[in-house]
Amino acid sequence: MSIRLNLFAIIGSIILLLVILELIRRKYLQERYSLIWIVTGILFLLLSIRVDILYRISNFLGFSIPSNALFFFGVLFLILIVLGLSVITSRLSVKNKILAQEVVLLKKRVADLEKSLRSSE
Amino acid sequence: MKTLVIIPAFNEEETLRGVILGIRSFLSQADILVVNDGSTDSTGDIAREEGVLVLEHPYNMGIGATMQTGFLYALNNGYNIAVQIDGDGQHDARFITSLIKPILDGQANLVIGTRYLSDGGFKSTFLRKLGIRFFTTIIWIFTGKKITDPTSGFRAMDRKGIELFSKEYPSDYPEVEALISAYKKGLHFQEIPVTMRNRQGGASSIGILSALYYMVKVTLSISIGSFRRVK
Repeated sequence: MSIRLNLFAIIGSIILLLVILELIRRKYLQERYSLIWIVTGILFLLLSIRVDILYRISNFLGFSIPSNALFFFGVLFLILIVLGLSVITSRLSVKNKILAQEVVLLKKRVADLEKSLRSSE
Repeated sequence: MKTLVIIPAFNEEETLRGVILGIRSFLSQADILVVNDGSTDSTGDIAREEGVLVLEHPYNMGIGATMQTGFLYALNNGYNIAVQIDGDGQHDARFITSLIKPILDGQANLVIGTRYLSDGGFKSTFLRKLGIRFFTTIIWIFTGKKITDPTSGFRAMDRKGIELFSKEYPSDYPEVEALISAYKKGLHFQEIPVTMRNRQGGASSIGILSALYYMVKVTLSISIGSFRRVK
């Protein structure tokens, strides 16, 4: 890999890490969900500084060229992230339904109580 | 026996009043609850004008969540029997008394009104019948019971049914799955013949694609659910 590409990868990884940290600082990203992104950012940085690690992994697993290994793990990682997001969405929609139903029932109770209060006055 | 008739309603302004009046004339002692599932027409106003109980969903949440809201209300307010009837007028309120009779006699926890055990009335289209036959087979495979009209939303249940369905009820296309979970809980169910009318207003909520989705979703949910432990 050329020095230029290497430098480019390092700068890219640092920017990714900074963006992630800034999102956490602004509370756009909850710590709970940010851990995996921080780990990803650090991994990217590590791999761009020590490209030989990627070469060794790719050799060990039998990929013909290292970039194939990179793409493979990249896609795998994205699939896992999306699957995780689907799980989170499902959980949220169930919670949201329960919450809405509680509100509906509470509103009815409040209205009934108001009515019985007014009639007893 | 405290009885609650639950009408899930989404944009049923043309038919809702008729349904309410029908229930009143055949079962005057029951409370009527309209669960308005975020209608964009005057459904909620009509229900309030008629002086029935009204619960308003803040947004459209689907038939499953709508029925469950009704069951939760029945649970919290100590009702012994809950009846489910559509707001579009295809269920004839005349049959409510025969629907709750097996419950009053202690013969069933859940009673389903079926259009396929009687002569006459509206039997629905060929494709729909095919779909219903499919669900009948599915239920037979998983429970060994023959339910001729498993998608019928004209039902009555006792306190046990109310307790179960207020805790767990599928969010979309819930009828078939609800029968399976009732079976798993050991509830006895029974079908009684009713005649149904063709819908009097509005549009059917089921097109061909969603019918396909209905079948796949229910099959998936039931087969995966059969590996789930019963709580």
